[in-house]
Amino acid sequence: MSVRISPRPLDLDQATRELGRRDAGAVVVFAGIVRPDSTPAGKVRALFYEADSVMVRKSLARIARETLARPGVQRVVLWHRTGLLAVGEVSVVVGAAAGHRAQAFSAARRLIEAVKRDAPIWKTDRLWSPPPRRRPPSPPRGSRSTGRARRTGAARR
Amino acid sequence: MVGTVVVRLYATAREAVGNARLERPAGPHGVSVGGLLDALSHDYPALAPILRHARFARNGSYLRGRSGRLRPGDELAIHPPYSGG
Repeated sequence: MSVRISPRPLDLDQATRELGRRDAGAVVVFAGIVRPDSTPAGKVRALFYEADSVMVRKSLARIARETLARPGVQRVVLWHRTGLLAVGEVSVVVGAAAGHRAQAFSAARRLIEAVKRDAPIWKTDRLWSPPPRRRPPSPPRGSRSTGRARRTGAARR
Repeated sequence: MVGTVVVRLYATAREAVGNARLERPAGPHGVSVGGLLDALSHDYPALAPILRHARFARNGSYLRGRSGRLRPGDELAIHPPYSGG
């Protein structure tokens, strides 16, 4: 089994090569990718991933070991990135090689679900900064709204 | 001499406290995990709702809920719900 938690980019081809030997009847590789979600606060431009560096290795190793023990599963990969990942980058790769496709699909599914549920990893949105707001028109001289304009200016700083 | 325990905070717990690491006095006989968490909730009210859904680990091993004691030199990790993947 191959387990990795690292800020280095993940290589899908390498994962496939590690899994795909001659004795495997089926190889399934899943990649999680940072997507450009829109949130009420703005559009996601990146995700920041952090982990409990001590506990995450044990957690990922246990998930991989338990999956490898399932019937028919021959090899697994379980790789997760940390740090700042832009939209489109691969954040996680899981994969399984097994004798038959049902076993490989099931194992890969188990790996990613267990990572999301049990691995001490967290992600935080990094949003595009909203465009600067247009300055409201100046109130007429002597207007009673002067105080409001001042508050707006303070909020923009 | 009064010992201390180290509290490590992640993600939303860190943001609620404004720090990734805290040191708290433990006394010669240590401190209960529940007592320490109650004190943290008091000192950092924004942390309290996060602790209701968090997992806790002592020296790298998960605890069952809030049970157990921390001895001087121990480390308690506070894990908000995970969101990897």
